[in-house]
Amino acid sequence: MFRFVPILICLCVVFLAPGLAKVVDETEIDQKVREIAKTLRCTVCQTENIWESGAPLAHQMREAVRERVIQGQSTEEIRAYFHSRYGDYIMMEPPKQGVNWLIWLTPFLLLFGGGALLWREVKGWVTRTPPSQPPPALDEASRRRIERELQQDKRE
Amino acid sequence: MTRTTQITMLVVLLALLSLFYQGLWGDPRHIPPVLVGTRAPVFEGPDVESGEPLSSEQYKGKVILVNFWASWCQECKVEHENLLRLYDEFKDHPEFVMVGINYQDEIPKARAYLQRYGSSFPHMQDVKGALAIDFGVYGVPETFVIDKQGIIRHKWIGPIVDNVYTNLTKNVLTPLLSDPTPAT
Repeated sequence: MFRFVPILICLCVVFLAPGLAKVVDETEIDQKVREIAKTLRCTVCQTENIWESGAPLAHQMREAVRERVIQGQSTEEIRAYFHSRYGDYIMMEPPKQGVNWLIWLTPFLLLFGGGALLWREVKGWVTRTPPSQPPPALDEASRRRIERELQQDKRE
Repeated sequence: MTRTTQITMLVVLLALLSLFYQGLWGDPRHIPPVLVGTRAPVFEGPDVESGEPLSSEQYKGKVILVNFWASWCQECKVEHENLLRLYDEFKDHPEFVMVGINYQDEIPKARAYLQRYGSSFPHMQDVKGALAIDFGVYGVPETFVIDKQGIIRHKWIGPIVDNVYTNLTKNVLTPLLSDPTPAT
């Protein structure tokens, strides 16, 4: 009977542990800070946003975002503030304006342009290739020879 | 493929190659200074040494050189002697002010740094780095020059040494200080 006690304890731990875990309550402010921080680039890191970066400057920027959220500023106001200080570089996604449209549109233009060019070239090859001719009809002598050889094969 | 298509493809290819060239051989540290030409943010904070409040408002109408530094920053030590020399060169000009902003530092360490390397102009505390973000600072040292109208006219990322010093004094500070335009 007592040999089952350790198993029971293990089962209790496994099933009760999630219930005992500390519940991390993310407030509305935390959520908004996270959403905004994820759209801002850490200016001293390589392609990392300020939410995920461990750099001291990123930490300060997160705090600056939090302060502004607490002050009641909107997401756009906060993003505009950072943009006014650091320019387009701070944005994880370059703003869709001016010369930045090149970044957004060039890949699609190249894809469609390349696709259209490829389609036109392939179509040209198909048009230029003459239709394949049917093989010449088998003459009577050859047909008889083939039949004879097949008969021989069957006998052997 | 027609002649026109071939020429179009060549033009596109050359345009892409020029973009790659710029990307590969350009200076990756160069970041367009967006604040140059805009109104400088108001900055205020306690003096590193005395703890007395300092504010940019008290320097209104003057040419202000703002230098962000920290005691943990190696490049700041490299430029420190030049900053003292620069202050000596311009300190007698009635419209010149120089302010250091001590960025994300421990105050006792900042004070020890100033005692060791010398201090002739005021230094403001920016422990949380809020002023640095207001100025769009990436790291230290960084130096800004604000004109009499309160507009940022110059920004330099990195230490003030050699040609940078000469450029700053001859081409930036001297013309701004001799500018007869009244302060606003």
